[in-house]
Order: sequence, then structure tokens, then C-alpha cells
Amino acid sequence: MKKQNKNIPPREIARYAFAIFVILLGLYFDYLDLSDSFLGFSSVGSWLVYVGFVMIAAITLQLFYYNKRVVDERMIFVANKAMRMTFLALVVFAFLIIVLDGIKTTTITIPYHLFMSYLICGLMIVYFISYKILLRFY
Amino acid sequence: MKTKITFYRNKIGITQEDLGKLVGVTRQTIISLEQGKYNPSLELASKITKALKRKYIEEVFKV
Repeated sequence: MKKQNKNIPPREIARYAFAIFVILLGLYFDYLDLSDSFLGFSSVGSWLVYVGFVMIAAITLQLFYYNKRVVDERMIFVANKAMRMTFLALVVFAFLIIVLDGIKTTTITIPYHLFMSYLICGLMIVYFISYKILLRFY
Repeated sequence: MKTKITFYRNKIGITQEDLGKLVGVTRQTIISLEQGKYNPSLELASKITKALKRKYIEEVFKV
């Protein structure tokens, strides 16, 4: 029976170090009270602390559950294909929006943060769905 | 691409899971290769040929 290596891999140590750095940076920003003056983001320090803790939780979970996962060349091939499809979907969607905006008498207005949130969520959904569909064909 | 993976795998008596572990891919990839849905890279084809105890890639994979 193979002896299991219980040491934390160097990549995970670097990720933990980065998460701790993010937390410390957040605490420092909170200490400096940069709240409204930091590029328009409020309470950026608290958010950095929050993100740091989420990172630590995610790294710890990955250490316990995902260390045996195999990523082979077929998965990479499908992921690349899904990425290309997502990009194509983005181009088609952007074209449709431009056409719609041209047809409509009133211009489409949407706050930037909302637009980016929709865009990123939409891209992730398209990528995930196309990846799952493509896995069936390859 | 037509393959003889199933034939040679049954000949030496190993499962898809075993072959996957031998060459470092998932069982789903072996299934996909056996069904001819996915064309492997030269590296993977070479690994599979060795794992199936064959001398030439052409014996296992036919274009």
C-alpha cells in the first residue's frame, strides 16, 4: 500500500500566503480608513478581509476534496472548445445588442456595474452549459 | 478514428478504469476513445499502445 503524502503542496502554501496577504492588506486599508476614497469602492478593507477568508476556505476545501481529481487532455480540449463557443456567443450577443440599440428609438441605458454583473454571469453560464454539452460529443 | 482498444484491453484482461489509471486519463476518456468520438494526441496514443502491450501505434489506432 502506498504511503500517503500528508505535506501541504508548495502551490497551496503560496495560495495560503496570498490569502493571508489579502487579509492583512484589508486590515491595513481598514486601519487607514480608505473607505470612500479608494477608487469609489466603499469599505474596501472589509471586503478584502472577507475575500481573504473565502480564499482560505476554498483552498482548504480543495486540499481535502479535489486533490485526487484527474484533468486529462480530453477535458482541456473540451474546455478550449467551450471557451471558443463562449467567445462566439459574446460576439453574436454584442452584435444583436448593437442592432437592437439601432432599431429602438430610445437608447438602451443600464448602470455599468449591473451591465458587468450580467455580462460575467452570462458568460459563465454559457461556458458551463457549452462545456457540459460538448462533453457528450467528445 | 477507428480503434482496437476494446479488443486489446479485453485480451490482456483490464478494465477501462485500469487502463485510464495506467495512462493517466479518466474512464470517460477511455470510453470516448473506444467509441471513436475523440482523437487522442500522439503522446496519449503512444501511452495507450504501451499499456496495451503493443509495439506500434498503428496496431491500436487506425486512421
